Amino acid sequence: MQLKETEVRANLVPGNNGYKKVKFDSLILLPYRDADLSTVLSQISTIFIKSYSPGSLATTSFRGTPANHTQVEWNGISLSNPMLGQSDLSQIPVSAFDEIEVLYGAAGLTKTSGAFGGVVNLVTNPDWNNRIQASVAQTVASFDNYTTGAGVIAGTSTFQSHTRLNYLSAVNNFPYNDDFTGEKVTQSNAKVLQYGLTEEAFWKLKDKHLFTARVWYSYDNRDVPPVVEGSATYYPQKMLNKTLRSILEYKLVEKSWNFSLKTSLVNQFMNYRNDSMLINNDHNCYTSFSSARFSWMGVKNLTIRPGVDYTYDYVKSDSYSGVKTRSTLGLYLEVAYKFNNHVKSQLILREDYLDGAFMPFVPTLGLEYKPLNKINLYLNANVSRNYRYPTLNDLYWEYWGNPDLKPEYDNGLEGGITYNYPSPNGKFFIETAVSGYYSWMHDMIVWSPLSYNPSVWKPQNVSEVNARGIEASLNLKWKVSKLQITSSNNLTFCRSTCEKTNSPEDQSLGKQLIYIPESTYNGTLNLNCWNFILGYNLTFVNKRYTTPNNQAYMPGYSLSNIIFGKSFNLHTFVISLQVKVNNLFDVDYQSVKNWPMPGRNYSLTARFEFKK
Amino acid sequence: MNLKNKVIKRTDINTRESGFKLIILISLMVYFLSACSKDPIREVTTPPVNPPTDTSKVVYNNGVFIVNEGNYNWANASVTYIDNKSGLAYQDIFMTANSRGLGDVAQSMKISGDKGFIIVNNNDRIEVVSLKDFKTIKSITGFSSPRYIEFIDSTKAYVTNMRRNIAIVDLKTLTVVKNIPTPYWTESLVRFGQFMYVTCIGSFNVPTADRKSQVYIIDTKTDVIVDSLLLGKEPVSITVDRKNKIWVICTGGYDNYEAPTLQRIDPALNIVDKSFTFPVQQGVPSRLCMNPTQDTLYFLYNGVYQMAAGASELPATAFIPANRHLFYGLGVHPVTGQVFVSDAIDYVQSGKVFRCSQANGQVLESYSAGRIPGSFCFTASSKK
Repeated sequence: MQLKETEVRANLVPGNNGYKKVKFDSLILLPYRDADLSTVLSQISTIFIKSYSPGSLATTSFRGTPANHTQVEWNGISLSNPMLGQSDLSQIPVSAFDEIEVLYGAAGLTKTSGAFGGVVNLVTNPDWNNRIQASVAQTVASFDNYTTGAGVIAGTSTFQSHTRLNYLSAVNNFPYNDDFTGEKVTQSNAKVLQYGLTEEAFWKLKDKHLFTARVWYSYDNRDVPPVVEGSATYYPQKMLNKTLRSILEYKLVEKSWNFSLKTSLVNQFMNYRNDSMLINNDHNCYTSFSSARFSWMGVKNLTIRPGVDYTYDYVKSDSYSGVKTRSTLGLYLEVAYKFNNHVKSQLILREDYLDGAFMPFVPTLGLEYKPLNKINLYLNANVSRNYRYPTLNDLYWEYWGNPDLKPEYDNGLEGGITYNYPSPNGKFFIETAVSGYYSWMHDMIVWSPLSYNPSVWKPQNVSEVNARGIEASLNLKWKVSKLQITSSNNLTFCRSTCEKTNSPEDQSLGKQLIYIPESTYNGTLNLNCWNFILGYNLTFVNKRYTTPNNQAYMPGYSLSNIIFGKSFNLHTFVISLQVKVNNLFDVDYQSVKNWPMPGRNYSLTARFEFKK
Repeated sequence: MNLKNKVIKRTDINTRESGFKLIILISLMVYFLSACSKDPIREVTTPPVNPPTDTSKVVYNNGVFIVNEGNYNWANASVTYIDNKSGLAYQDIFMTANSRGLGDVAQSMKISGDKGFIIVNNNDRIEVVSLKDFKTIKSITGFSSPRYIEFIDSTKAYVTNMRRNIAIVDLKTLTVVKNIPTPYWTESLVRFGQFMYVTCIGSFNVPTADRKSQVYIIDTKTDVIVDSLLLGKEPVSITVDRKNKIWVICTGGYDNYEAPTLQRIDPALNIVDKSFTFPVQQGVPSRLCMNPTQDTLYFLYNGVYQMAAGASELPATAFIPANRHLFYGLGVHPVTGQVFVSDAIDYVQSGKVFRCSQANGQVLESYSAGRIPGSFCFTASSKK
């Protein structure tokens, strides 16, 4: 909560060789340290979060794409489950990382193929200060929700260690209006128990070699709550996730070249129990990912970065017959060239060799143009091609999977303007970005009934989707005497439409895909003075259709949240207190049909920090 | 001193200016807030073209109910009513009459006297509605994933369940009074004299190979299973013809364990006396129906098929070809013999229902329905 002196830093990374990138640093994330990733992204980014209900699944829709087209990464390794090809953002605590990097559309190709929407990378970086810093934070929130976070960051100019712990126990017994009975009832069966530990060690040798080791264990055990009108008899549904992730990295930095090597091992165990359907299944996935990158800057204005990635997935699931594996070898080449002080460009080429077959070639070209010397105005554009291979569930789910699926592919085009102005006295900073995208996705996989046997559903390459939209952001930082004002605003418009139908009665041609809002806005205004903070956040989500023919929809809603806090500095200690009021105006809304959402609710956080 | 004063003044001005701009910012935010209201924010359905929404003058005594299953776990089941007199289709009549949704997965509906019984599968509930106004008289609970209901007389009915047991409902008190224990999933049922023939699919969470597929024969006087016989895998649909033979469609299993069959039971001997095998991999038969004179069978097999009860083999061509429609529900009008078939389209958007000629299968009329129109229920005095 304690803000450093005004630092001018761009969140909307300007230019970036023609690819759009946004960063949220630890300062911006500070008020969200007790929250999960879905909350923070829905309040400060342009990514739409489809959240069923507190304690339930939260997935993304990035630039009008389905959830499996956003890849969430932790320091460069995928957090997605290889069976599902997507991640549940409600299971990722913000306290487990420092920064969020959002790579829009084609920018994600620097990390991976297949994320048509983009990549969200959760990053931790060492600061090489000689100090020891320890903190404990406790949050008590409405509906019997308790969050504890603790961390020790210690190190010298050559060695750093980050240790973090998080614990969450939530009952989520919030009251809501049951449309079925018309009565106020209390949500049941939405308990969550979650804890995690991360340990990260960084070692620098002769300012040339950097070794990094990271381990993250997380445990998540939750009830799956019922839909509003499904509550006549509730049969327990439970989801248990236990995940261990580990990464080893080495980086060598020379004058005209550098080299990096990364290897990781991830084990994700999941158990799903549904007493109504008599399901009690274990799913166990092991993923090993290794990557090597070489950067050569031998010729002026030119950077060449070849690389190799190798991923091996090994899955043992009660829903598959036998063990299923997948190996992907990726060849990567990135060429960045600076024509002059005004024009830069970057070419990315990717070719994956997956289970013995070459995948579609993925080229993308970005161009950045800075027309004026003294004004930070950047124009950027890129053209890209991308593909996504079916998930393991699509291919191998017992009886229903379809091993004959082809990859989905996407042709995309985007362009944008970024502008920022830091005032010479350093007291004022404004940045703004507007971008537009147009993307046409083919052979999209949809689980649909077989034409010769409607009682059997199989994933099939049947759909085409055209997503296009506009994103606009405006951020302000302003220091007036002791008062510091920061504000961030994001506005999106998105048309994501179905462009291919298979039945003569199908009315969905040209209609918006379900649960993708046509527009969203979120804005934050924070005031800081004398170690007080007062913040206001407004999130508006426009209507989302619930039927492919757009006959029914969930109306738009806006939610307001406020935060008030104060921190006290006592020599080497900082004590801070923070109160949050969520859904300030007690809006009775549903994000997903028939899934209840809580009304006004509160949280109180006390944080104790020691630094020496 | 002077200098210091100046500095302070300057800051004052800055603060004032910033305060002004702050007000602008806040008012902008308040503007966005105007979208928020106190009313609950819930799904809104834009009615279909020419929607007859005023149901106040509708009496549900001469028409067809379409039970729209809705999507599993979306709680969007509904009932559409086609009024024979006006020819109009009224959407979501349960919601209109009761100001609440029907629930999660409506499986089927049957009429006894002046009451309609709608089985809401994933809510373990039967909504008993008055056919005067479609208002709920009672929600019967105590089932375990109910599927179909069959009336024995005006006091008693059997209800099959996916999880276990056949429930016995007292039609006077509208409560479950007893269960006939069955270990597994019971599905379709038909009354034959004093006996009830109930198909049993087996345990639903095991592969088809491990499922015991059979038909239970229950004495409705004693509520005891008196006999059973083995059938093809997954017997989903049962009916009786005018020559007192019982017909069953077996899909062969969701995992294509064996070829689908149409089997005939002789209830005098309780044996399968005839069995027709469908070609493998061309489709899965379902929804067995009889015409009013009970001498012709209808079923879905991608398209709608028609077969004389005395035929010696399965029909070679469809009575109503599918032509890229996703036929999902089938009903035959008990008086006119007209064929009602539904198109679930993609199982997500609102479906369609076609009323077809009993003579040649031609579409006479098409109606909009709700999501996944699955079964039909015809009123007792249905005419047209």
